[in-house]
Amino acid sequence: MTALLELHDVRKSYGTRRAVDGLSLTVNRGEVVALLGANGAGKTTTLEIALGLRKADSGEVRLHARPVGVTPQETGMPNNLRVREIAGFVAKHYDTRPDVDAILAPFGLEAFANRQAGGLSGGELRKLALALAFAPKPELVILDEPTTGLDIESRRNVWSYVRAYVSGGGTVLLTTHHMEEAEALASRVCVMGAGRIVHDAPPSGIRRMVGTRRLTYAGEPFDPSTFGIDATVVCDEGRVTIAARDTDALVRAMVTNGIVFADLCVLDATLEDAVVTLTEVRR
Amino acid sequence: MIRLAFLYAKVQWLQLSRVPGFVVPTLLFPSLFFTLFDLNFARSHPKVAPFLMLGYVAFAIIGVTLFQFGVGIATERSTPWERYLRTLPAPVASRFLGRVIVAAAFGTIAASMVIVLASITAGVHFDAAQWLRIAGAMVAGGVVFTLFGLAIGYWLSEKAALPVANLFYLLLSFAGGLWIPPDQMPPFARAVSPFLPTRQFADLLWNAPFGISWSALLPLGCFGCAFLIAAAIGYRRDQKARYA
Repeated sequence: MTALLELHDVRKSYGTRRAVDGLSLTVNRGEVVALLGANGAGKTTTLEIALGLRKADSGEVRLHARPVGVTPQETGMPNNLRVREIAGFVAKHYDTRPDVDAILAPFGLEAFANRQAGGLSGGELRKLALALAFAPKPELVILDEPTTGLDIESRRNVWSYVRAYVSGGGTVLLTTHHMEEAEALASRVCVMGAGRIVHDAPPSGIRRMVGTRRLTYAGEPFDPSTFGIDATVVCDEGRVTIAARDTDALVRAMVTNGIVFADLCVLDATLEDAVVTLTEVRR
Repeated sequence: MIRLAFLYAKVQWLQLSRVPGFVVPTLLFPSLFFTLFDLNFARSHPKVAPFLMLGYVAFAIIGVTLFQFGVGIATERSTPWERYLRTLPAPVASRFLGRVIVAAAFGTIAASMVIVLASITAGVHFDAAQWLRIAGAMVAGGVVFTLFGLAIGYWLSEKAALPVANLFYLLLSFAGGLWIPPDQMPPFARAVSPFLPTRQFADLLWNAPFGISWSALLPLGCFGCAFLIAAAIGYRRDQKARYA
């Protein structure tokens, strides 16, 4: 496997606060690596260090990919430049001189090509920021919360585009707070906590790490610990959700003890459940 | 790097030319002020006319540099777009050079408007060698006030830069004798005038038709060094806060 980005034992502090604390990460060609974690976990600082926007206090950073496309967390474009002018300006930074229409079309921005950036909605600006990241046909794309502010349809279109880019040999490093985005795109999920990667596995592996499944039913809640089962119980509008390691034993206990239920489902833990659990354990 | 510098210059030109609040005062104020305050006097005093015109040429150059570099940098350095530009494969120098090209273009246009106006209406004429020395003095003053603008841009916040630049622009222009000949200024302004960079710039321009005024160039150079140091410290401080 060819490493396009290598971070080794990277540390970064802002004053007394440690943002990144001994983080090591390698992104290989063809991977989609999602950095997940709570606000302040160090995700954006990690990306900024990878891009050279921040200097690490210590550790090694090696970026082998050329060119690299970037969508920063904040979208800011010069208000009085037209979309076509911005795309053309970015395109001229690269030897390949990508065509402006080819940059805008995949993100549905052709209709806005002659509109000034100040006249775009937040979602349209976000799409433009994404279009610019993919403009130079980059070897690696770094996306910081790429679909924030996009509607569901646009988000799914972006996912399709990213998948097509990866199937064509591209590589992605992204951060997101949308777990369904990580599930949809990531081949590897790195869960960050307190400035370091605490878990690094495919999404299915992260889900399995938690070891719990979710049982939900319509009915009254009960306390599983009275039957010797360790579980957490959440009630929401007449529906009970119980997270437990052994849901088979839980169902047996419910039947044996006459717990009344209807519409019972047993589900795997979602990535969101897993990330929340893993970062809570860490805290 | 040069190709990218012109790319950045083109984009900045587009941005600035679409802001009437920048274009109108920067390009029109010097020739407008000249017309309103000194044109009649210049027409009736042909020997004084070249000096009046050169004062407004200095005013034009100072306006462009203070607003382009001072206000422009203070406004842009904290924007997400500026951060994004740093991820593109372009050296910082080409972006700066692009800004210099645009400032030179705006400064040339603003100064030319004053010169053309004075030539047509007040009959101001110089020979080629004199114009060459005037152009050299304009560049020298432009560099010094560019450094002053950079210091403002890197030390002051977006909100503070505009009023401070305006204050310096108008006060220093007046006290430097760019609008009124120094011997006709109020006593206090006359007293401080020789110690101001605007006055040294004006002295350099006023003497340019006859030769190089070292007595103006040296103090102007000292101001340039002081502004360079202030700008460099401000730049390092800003970069450390934003990117270290």
